[in-house]
Amino acid sequence: MKRNKKMIIAFITPALVTFLVMFVYPVIRTVIMSFFKVESLTASTSEWQFAGLDNYIGIWKTPIFRTSMINMGVIWLVGGVIVLSVSLLLAVILTSGVRFKSFFRAAIYLPNVISAVALAIMWIQYVFSKKYGMLTSFFRALGLDNLAKISWLDSDMKFWAMLIAFCFGAVGYYMLIFLSGIEQIPQDLFEAATIDGANKMGQFAHITLPLLKGVFKTNLTFWSINTMMFFVWSKMFSPVETEASTISPVVYMYNIVFGTKGVTQRDAGRGAAIGVTMALFVLIIFFIFNRVLKDDDLEY
Amino acid sequence: MAKEKKVREPVNWKKELRLLPGYLILSLWIIFTAVLLIWILAASFSTSREIFKGDVFKFASGFHWENYVTAWKTQNVSVFLANSLLYASCAVVGILAISSAAAYVLARFTFLGNKVIKSGFIVAMSIPLIMIILPIFNITTRWGMTGSRLLLIVLYICLNVPYTTTFLMNFFRNLSRSYEEAAAIDGCSPIMTFWRIMLPLAQPGLITVGIFNFLSVWNEYFMALIFASSDNMKSVGTGLFSMVNSLKAVGDYGSLFAAVIIVFLPTFLMYVFLSEKIIAGVTGGGVKG
Repeated sequence: MKRNKKMIIAFITPALVTFLVMFVYPVIRTVIMSFFKVESLTASTSEWQFAGLDNYIGIWKTPIFRTSMINMGVIWLVGGVIVLSVSLLLAVILTSGVRFKSFFRAAIYLPNVISAVALAIMWIQYVFSKKYGMLTSFFRALGLDNLAKISWLDSDMKFWAMLIAFCFGAVGYYMLIFLSGIEQIPQDLFEAATIDGANKMGQFAHITLPLLKGVFKTNLTFWSINTMMFFVWSKMFSPVETEASTISPVVYMYNIVFGTKGVTQRDAGRGAAIGVTMALFVLIIFFIFNRVLKDDDLEY
Repeated sequence: MAKEKKVREPVNWKKELRLLPGYLILSLWIIFTAVLLIWILAASFSTSREIFKGDVFKFASGFHWENYVTAWKTQNVSVFLANSLLYASCAVVGILAISSAAAYVLARFTFLGNKVIKSGFIVAMSIPLIMIILPIFNITTRWGMTGSRLLLIVLYICLNVPYTTTFLMNFFRNLSRSYEEAAAIDGCSPIMTFWRIMLPLAQPGLITVGIFNFLSVWNEYFMALIFASSDNMKSVGTGLFSMVNSLKAVGDYGSLFAAVIIVFLPTFLMYVFLSEKIIAGVTGGGVKG
């Protein structure tokens, strides 16, 4: 037993140290920092001045931060509905007995293994391009001149262009999770329902959906974390100067903490407040959906 | 026999017909993806003028391999690829070393704090990066650690330990205890049992989670942007970002698409051969902790 004890300590310590250094300490420090006025991120704690809730009030009074929060909210809600319903639809199709299932599955997940930067360039420089883009030539070939004339990358369409491109890349991941959830449902439930005369739609509504509650919760949590960290796509769609139409809270935070073109003032305390706000949002969403989608602790 | 065949075929076709809407949706999705990739590939062999005229599939002036030469040499794609390879492979080795040991003892032994650590790792998996990035930047700058490749590798290791440990824990839990009992009877020490018997048995899990980590570190953007800002340290994501802006400024779109293809190919080829393992990495770990 003594030998085991030594081994346990030796085996768990490295993981524990990385956990404390990478997660526990930074989270605590970020929370504390969000209540202080800290200009430079590299300032030592002796230069911190207690500011109470000033950072939190300050960010909400800043119009561009509110814009970024609205953008994120729309991405979370509209993008979430699109991504989760499309990925559920694709997962249901793939489990309905189609051929070449593993090929389709692999092809739909493909965007997730490509660098997001490369993927975004494909969309910006090709699909949405006004001069030679896929959408423009497609609509022109169909004779839909009004649709062909849309300039996707102008400021009023840019946000939606970004959202479409982002959703396309994201679907594969959530589809895989739905897929493994559906495959865990015992086949005899469907067989029994078929014998009892339930059609496919009825089976989907009364067996698949209710049994996917836990998987929905997982997907919603991941989706929320993903949208809170929305950064690369925003950067890619306005690469030189940050634009209001595509700004996300993380981009705003990056700008005020690390600086960017046109932003001279630094405010690390506010940056921390943004981080805490985002984390709180994830927590709130998690608790709400935990309540709404209560797990029934099913054992198959 | 012939009669039976006749009976079978119509039933089969009926089934396929019923699935037709499904096939249609899947095919549209795949066709879109294929057109997107093939067009980019064709454009990478064309001149900027051909691209702007929309004639990328004619190759009127031949294949322009020099686009690739420009991207590879002048625009430093080779450096970015080498960096990403270094970051990803070193990080994977570190992650697996730390996580496999921790996952084994967490799955096999009961000790004080076992449960706390397990749930801590699960919580860590859902902490947004922006909650932790500021203090880490602060410490590493004040200790003079920034500007080194080693720092980024260490950060990648720390960042991925919780997920990997949780994944491997589920894997070790499913291995039978009789292996260890037999080894103990034969006088094998617990550490040797882990090294000689349990680790080899866990190899499929190690490979899956290793590949998955490799890809996520290879493509990582946010931390690379903050901790590897100088040109010779950039990885594929941040490197491609700055390269695209400079190529757009010069108007060399052929090389721009060539650079995209160069960055795209390594992970794509990996995926072609290892897609089953990679997909298993998504669904296998943590989802149901």
